[in-house]
Amino acid sequence: MSEKPQWEAIAKHSSFIELKRKKRNFLFSWWIISTIYYLLLPVISGYFPEAFRVKVIGPINFGYLFILSQFVMAIGVAIYYAHVANKTFDRLTKQLLDALK
Amino acid sequence: MKKRIAALTVALSLSIFGAAAACAAVAATAATPLAAPAATAPGATAPAPPAAAAAKAEVTPAKGAAAAPAKITPNRGITIGMFALIIAVTMGVVVWAAKKTQTASDFYTAGGGITGFQNGWAIAGDYMSAASFLGMSGLISLYGIDGFMYAVGPMFSFIAILLVIAEPCRNAGKYTLGDILSFRSSPKVVRGVAALSTVTVSIFYLIAQMVGAGKLMQMLLNIPYKVSVIGVGALMVAYVVFGGMKATTWVQIIKASLLMGATTVLCLLVAIKAGFNPVSFFTDVVNSSAIQEHVRMNVLKDVVAKPGVDYGQRFMEPGLFLKSPLDQISLGLAWALGAAGLPHILMRFFTVPSAKDARKSIIIALFLNSTFFFMISVIGFGAALYLTPQAISAVDKGGNMATLLLAQHMGGGPGSLGGDIFLAFICAVAFATILAVVSGLVLAASAAIAHDVYVNIIKDGKADQHLQVKVARITSLFVGTSAIVMGLMAEKENVVALVALAFAVAASGNFPVVMLSLFWRKFNTAGIVSGLVVGTVSALALVMVSPVMTYPKKIAADARKVVDTLEKKQAGGAVLAEKEVQALVKSRAEYAKNKNGTSMVGLDAPIFPLKNPGIVSVPLGFMAAFFGCLLFRERRAEEMFDEIDVRQNTGIGIAKAAEH
Repeated sequence: MSEKPQWEAIAKHSSFIELKRKKRNFLFSWWIISTIYYLLLPVISGYFPEAFRVKVIGPINFGYLFILSQFVMAIGVAIYYAHVANKTFDRLTKQLLDALK
Repeated sequence: MKKRIAALTVALSLSIFGAAAACAAVAATAATPLAAPAATAPGATAPAPPAAAAAKAEVTPAKGAAAAPAKITPNRGITIGMFALIIAVTMGVVVWAAKKTQTASDFYTAGGGITGFQNGWAIAGDYMSAASFLGMSGLISLYGIDGFMYAVGPMFSFIAILLVIAEPCRNAGKYTLGDILSFRSSPKVVRGVAALSTVTVSIFYLIAQMVGAGKLMQMLLNIPYKVSVIGVGALMVAYVVFGGMKATTWVQIIKASLLMGATTVLCLLVAIKAGFNPVSFFTDVVNSSAIQEHVRMNVLKDVVAKPGVDYGQRFMEPGLFLKSPLDQISLGLAWALGAAGLPHILMRFFTVPSAKDARKSIIIALFLNSTFFFMISVIGFGAALYLTPQAISAVDKGGNMATLLLAQHMGGGPGSLGGDIFLAFICAVAFATILAVVSGLVLAASAAIAHDVYVNIIKDGKADQHLQVKVARITSLFVGTSAIVMGLMAEKENVVALVALAFAVAASGNFPVVMLSLFWRKFNTAGIVSGLVVGTVSALALVMVSPVMTYPKKIAADARKVVDTLEKKQAGGAVLAEKEVQALVKSRAEYAKNKNGTSMVGLDAPIFPLKNPGIVSVPLGFMAAFFGCLLFRERRAEEMFDEIDVRQNTGIGIAKAAEH
């Protein structure tokens, strides 16, 4: 079997540090942004219900559209993440693995 | 073999839909209000419920809407046929899976041979429980937009999983929560506590599902509660003991396909009837006099219409069901973080070969679920419009029969062949749903006991594959049987709270420690133990003193109010209607029974005001983990951080599913 990976050495490798930094920034920022957007739902509907009552198209009000937007946001974040992961993270990981050989 | 299963499922679904759609098309041309008073409901073998009296007396369906019978009446023959078919197909899967399950990794993770696409369907299936399928549409049909809002939570929980949990866990872990957490900490202590937490969460979820299954079968087919619980339990035990993760995954996939198919068809039928025009659809909803009356009388309890209030539009506005903003935020937090801490979901990431496949499966599950919940909302509003909320709540107060009634109606109405087939199909799918979910839960709980406790704590990690599988099977048998017993005991309890509780515990106990283990250098054994214990205990304790529990004195007080009002009316010389006399007698009895009782923990009234402890217990869990860790520093844990950091970010050294 190949030797055990030297974890400390890899952790100090510049490619790894770059990968980790980019990942952390992206994942945590988007997680926090989407969670805040999601929590706006109970906050607005609970504390500012009049906002939800504003009619937009016929009887369809802002509340309904805002709920719908939550679905759009979730799908959007997922697609965007898949794109970034494929384009950047996977590429950097491969770079790191090649550099370690 | 897999292709044959897929083909069979597709063929089955298409032929059902073809039949139902054909009948629906025929019935749609003769779309006149069907008058089907409860008294003459065909094939009703059960005693006429009190709802029959209500249907005759107060609740008059609006003109132009169909009147559904007050008891749902599936054609027993067709329904049992459907059930038998689904059981046969899934048992076939179990037999096939059993032959392929030899090693521990086969049993727990299907040997890592599940593709991202398949796993996506399986995970989606875990979310599409009977509660979402039946309960959410019911909520929407009775309370309007609040039900739709409720659906956002479970959908959103995927984001936390996708961004911060799925890939790191697959890269770093093996089968269980205990595997991930014990990475750089004292394995025995951590595995023990993790196993305890896993079993607790799974048991709550399990009891809720078993009771739900029992009640559903009782309502639909008049099978006694005890028989249904034992029946479902026996099947579930068979699936898990013989087929392990392979069987449960494929049962989930099959059930998810059937459920998506059924929901799509039902949603399309509603859309066709509404002419694919959302504006006119919602205008009809708002203008429906049945809905307006339901909102006014049953929900807002305005006996005399308040001037200037648009009761129809009110259906599209929040607040009919979810009343307390703080409670909603609490619930939202539990949803958003809890799913990422559910052991039976975590286990699913290990069934795929790599982190990239785990990523793919979550994205697919997210797509499936968002579509599913959106379609459910259409079904819910459609049910309110075409069946009237009064008719729906006449069959079941919680509205849980809304989807089934709509299926029957859209298929051609009660008693018609299309209606019966469609209804039978949906009933059988609901049944399969429960079976699939409970199997996954039993597997997760068994993994915690067999793998974490027995193999790693008691046997120090030394146990050959055959022994591991044997122990796993025996544990599953034991867990499944306990679930049956608890389901039988919990028949009269309010189990709706149990699922929310499971999520709260997962969000407060499991999620913080998993996150900190993966991302914080300083995190160690003490942190894990404090986080798990404090998070779990605080969530449990807060629920025990919350409004979710039953408080006899409150029931007595409500009963007292009814008695006083009616007695006053009587004293004033009025003659009470028969229904009111019944209510008076019932309330008096309720009052006498409850006036001296206390809740399970001995309280008269709730101390904690919220139904969901999330907003308190999640921060508590994080804080306990944080401080526990800092109080008892551990060099080894900090030194080993590099290993888990590199592993979780890159996948170097990833445990192949066939290793352990």
